[in-house]
Amino acid sequence: MNDMQWAPIGSEPLPPPLPPTRVDFTGDRSVFRKMVTKGAMLELVTFGFYRFWMVTDIRRHLWSNTAIDGDAAEYTGRAKELLIGFLVALAILVPIYLAYFLVGIEFERWQGFASTPLFISFYAFGQFAIFRARRYRLTRTVWRGVRFWMDGSGWAYSVRAMAWGLLVFLTLGIALPWREASLERYKMQHTHYGDLRGDFVGDGWEFFKRGWWLWLLSPVAVVIFPLAPFVYAEFKAREWRWWLDGLRIGGVNVSSQLPHNAFYGVYWKVIGWWMLLSVLFGLYIAGVTGLIAAAGVAPTGPDAFARSIPFLVAMVIGYLATVLALNVVMRMYLQHDIWVKALETLEVHDIGAAADVQGRGELANALGEGFADGLDVAGF
Amino acid sequence: MPSAKITVFFDGVSSRKRQVSLVLADALEIVEEGAAPVRWAYDDIRRSDSPLGILRLASISAPPLARLEIRDTALGAEVIARCARLDEHLTTGRGVAKIVGWSVAAAVSIVCVVLFGVPLAADRLAPLVPKPIERRIGDASEVQVKTIFGRRVCDDPAGRAAFTKLVNRLRDAAGLDDDSMTAGVLPSAIPNAFALPGGKVYVLNALIDKAENPDELAGVLAHELGHLKHHDNMRGLIYNGGTSFLIGLLFGDVTGSSAVIFASRSVVEASYSREAETAADTFAIDIMHALGRSPKPAAELMFRITGKEGGSGFTILASHPLTEDRLARMTKEDRPASGPPLLTDTEWQALKGICGSGKI
Repeated sequence: MNDMQWAPIGSEPLPPPLPPTRVDFTGDRSVFRKMVTKGAMLELVTFGFYRFWMVTDIRRHLWSNTAIDGDAAEYTGRAKELLIGFLVALAILVPIYLAYFLVGIEFERWQGFASTPLFISFYAFGQFAIFRARRYRLTRTVWRGVRFWMDGSGWAYSVRAMAWGLLVFLTLGIALPWREASLERYKMQHTHYGDLRGDFVGDGWEFFKRGWWLWLLSPVAVVIFPLAPFVYAEFKAREWRWWLDGLRIGGVNVSSQLPHNAFYGVYWKVIGWWMLLSVLFGLYIAGVTGLIAAAGVAPTGPDAFARSIPFLVAMVIGYLATVLALNVVMRMYLQHDIWVKALETLEVHDIGAAADVQGRGELANALGEGFADGLDVAGF
Repeated sequence: MPSAKITVFFDGVSSRKRQVSLVLADALEIVEEGAAPVRWAYDDIRRSDSPLGILRLASISAPPLARLEIRDTALGAEVIARCARLDEHLTTGRGVAKIVGWSVAAAVSIVCVVLFGVPLAADRLAPLVPKPIERRIGDASEVQVKTIFGRRVCDDPAGRAAFTKLVNRLRDAAGLDDDSMTAGVLPSAIPNAFALPGGKVYVLNALIDKAENPDELAGVLAHELGHLKHHDNMRGLIYNGGTSFLIGLLFGDVTGSSAVIFASRSVVEASYSREAETAADTFAIDIMHALGRSPKPAAELMFRITGKEGGSGFTILASHPLTEDRLARMTKEDRPASGPPLLTDTEWQALKGICGSGKI
């Protein structure tokens, strides 16, 4: 009865080349919007603590609606892990901050403002956090009952990222494609799906060829503002496509047809919303000012509004609401829509190589996510 | 069975996709042709995340990644009806309420610690900071100050002698340790004076230029000695470090870079520093009285420099009390001089020329 197309390839002497498999996204955009809106409100009333649950919900939604070869992935991470990871990361960061402070004093005694470069050590720590957070997310990613996992060292990655970062700095950004290729190679070669090992075959030169003129254009885009979103969207689309094209897991490979202008709309919509929300915030402040003046609650005097508690409270609430609304907008467009657009144009080849993979790998803890949160370098 | 409605089983050991049929016996039996059936007790079955239209199940007694995917809605409903604890592990409305409740409790306790705990800790700990550590921090800030204002210290011998005399009289009246204090004049066009940790007081030359008599300068110096006496630098350091960490904890960003943190920090810290300034003013008033001089001239000097401050923006963010309020306070404490002048006219003229005759 076994007519399944994923029968092991070895059973046939000469397997015909299988057509590429598509990746489908089955999620409903309005479900996602309701989820992030509700999440933003809960973040407001929980002073931001809800972010662990919010992030987990977003990932669960995106993962479980992403079907490769007809089988949806699953995100098995839970918010409590993130919360614990954050608390543990705090416990580790506190003495580090203290040591940073004391070492800084010794540097300052020696030479004024000599401690400024110490800030770089936090950058290194951030890179470590990025690597470890990725490990956490991967080990929570399950497809067909087998999880992804990672080995490799966060510090080795951090050293690489720092060295490449220095080179990018010295070459005014020209080295960026090679930095990305090298770091991605390190990450992917330490990525596994069961007993399949990942790899990254994209090379820096290829990326450079696709984007060098954007690099030349970027100083112009800084001056002529309306050009900037186009340049950035071009760059991001080319980066995504190059990255996706280079991904390999065992014999499985991926190709992307992402158009170079795929993200224009997304970034312009974010900018449009940002402007709209700024205007609304301005009107709100004006309205509150008028209302308080009319009600005569405020103390009189030239600096009455600065002293007025109701005014300050109203301003803080308005500010938080604006920030959270912007958060919803960014999650909708920059997470959900980019995710969907990238998947739409994705093709997976030789998926048969993943038909009978043995499960491997241990779960990683969420400490890296905690560091990333604490240092403000959090990714997805 | 149509192929769209097949039931698929992943055993959690390999990624092999197994087409199975289900037997709803006293436990759920997952039957794959040519293999031993797998039995899942109904009470162990939990729902997993899945796209719409697929029921994905796991069992807490099976390998953690074993998944059963039922695409047939009717069959799925039959299985669901038997699994009493299917959704037990999911976050419910009550779960969310719990998160909100605990977050609010955590926020309230953090706010209480910021408002009451940290100031208390700073007040208690600051005097306990060992002198050598305080001096090291002071040395570090001194290097920074000198980087900003240039390395030169004003050292006209006669002016230096007059300055030392003035500082020593104030120090004796203040009861500060002999070895713990150094004072100097730096050339700068900004009229100001400040105290650094480890007993360092610096007066910027422009302040001496603007002062019309020794009492004006003495009051300002006494104010700075007040900061030393109260360990305000160390208190501020502990306090600022503590609050920015805690407020960062609240909003989830320990480095404290975002706008909310900056705003709330400024308000909280400014009010703390206003208290410290008021205390230093009190100290200065006491010293000037002890020396038989009036504290009022110092406030007049400050008023001449800053002008009227009220109405110039956000007073809730101001780190000092308003100059007019300080002037009003010191005017109230004005008393006719009962002690000898702090410096003779010659000494005062020498002090005015401490940075050399030329302007900077």
